[in-house]
Amino acid sequence: SLVIRGEKDEHAVLCSKDKTYDMKIADTSNMLLFVPGCKTPEELNGDLESCNIIHSQIAGFSKNYWELRRCRPKLKKLRKLLMEDPYEGPDNQKDQTSTFSKYTTEDLLSLIQASEEEILHQLQVIDACKIEGYWRILDFDYEMKLLNHVTQLIDSESWPLSKVPLCACLEELGSLEPREMIQHILLSYGRKYVDDAGEVFFEMREDKICRAIARMLLQNAVKFNLSEFEEVWQQSVPEGMTTRLDQLQGLALVDKSSRPETIFLLKVEDLPEDNQERFNSLFGIREKWTEVDITPYIQ
Amino acid sequence: FSHSGGAGALAQWVLVELQGEVQPRQSGDLAGSLLGDLHYTREGVPVLIVGHHILCGKVVQLEKPFAVLVKEGGAPQPSPTEPHRQYTVTALIKTKLLFKTRPKPIITHVPKKV
Repeated sequence: SLVIRGEKDEHAVLCSKDKTYDMKIADTSNMLLFVPGCKTPEELNGDLESCNIIHSQIAGFSKNYWELRRCRPKLKKLRKLLMEDPYEGPDNQKDQTSTFSKYTTEDLLSLIQASEEEILHQLQVIDACKIEGYWRILDFDYEMKLLNHVTQLIDSESWPLSKVPLCACLEELGSLEPREMIQHILLSYGRKYVDDAGEVFFEMREDKICRAIARMLLQNAVKFNLSEFEEVWQQSVPEGMTTRLDQLQGLALVDKSSRPETIFLLKVEDLPEDNQERFNSLFGIREKWTEVDITPYIQ
Repeated sequence: FSHSGGAGALAQWVLVELQGEVQPRQSGDLAGSLLGDLHYTREGVPVLIVGHHILCGKVVQLEKPFAVLVKEGGAPQPSPTEPHRQYTVTALIKTKLLFKTRPKPIITHVPKKV
């Protein structure tokens, strides 16, 4: 079955199980009559013998119709909704008392103009997790706390970054954080696989981890001296990982015109959605942009 | 939306597309009035006779088929018990008879010029 989704101030979209379509009304100056049971010439060909009159009724008529055009699912709202109340951990009192701004799958299906599959896929992309039936995004500081537990454990156990055992992580860290959270952070920052013996391991994602650590460092200052930052950054990532500036696309910007060169945080998800507003915002930050620099922010 | 129940395929309807407006001969409603006669020539060309006019058209397979929807339920506004409006797909339309040439009047008697 199909569903029409949209709030009063949005343009309606039609959703199948996995696709989203814009709905547009098309006017025609012609008159469209619907005739049930009307036969086409091919269907009558066999009936050359009988020349009976077939009485057909016109069921109705219309001068306009709805046209569907496949479109991109409107998913920006999803992150916006989940960011209303990021999850800060089980110890956080706020979570127990607040009943606002928490969304179940059903809630999201009625608020987001996209098909169910597109919504579920996006939840995975933004590393959302289900806590007590509600979809949540982790507060960044809490996320880093969890990641730090894992990277420290990897270091102290000298596990290879490509073979981090799930069971051992849950055992060692289970007393510090909920097991679901430990599993979630491994799923977010690693690639899950099962070895021949049936044991679950994670191949840690170097780029994603380096990027998260960079964000953690950069968010504490307006800007950093570039070379100092690069040194601290490399020292802060797990041993065996290599930092590269291209890991920071859409997250940070290097100012090559200042002496010394500096770097500052600029998150693409903080920029306005509307095209014109986004350009205004970007050119307000910097007068001239190279194609390489601006591309991650206008994709 | 939902499929209009029952096993078996959806009903297939045909669209008849006319230029301009259709009006009943006498004053009154369109409903219940006779529109006209539809014929097909041996070559499969549809011919529509409306009043004393004749229209020639063509059979067109629609690139994008239409679905005919019927609104379910009587309530004009969604209510707490019925928050979601439902539409049922009643029929599919894959073919249309397009009449876009000017209707030609049928002249049955041409007086001879003296």
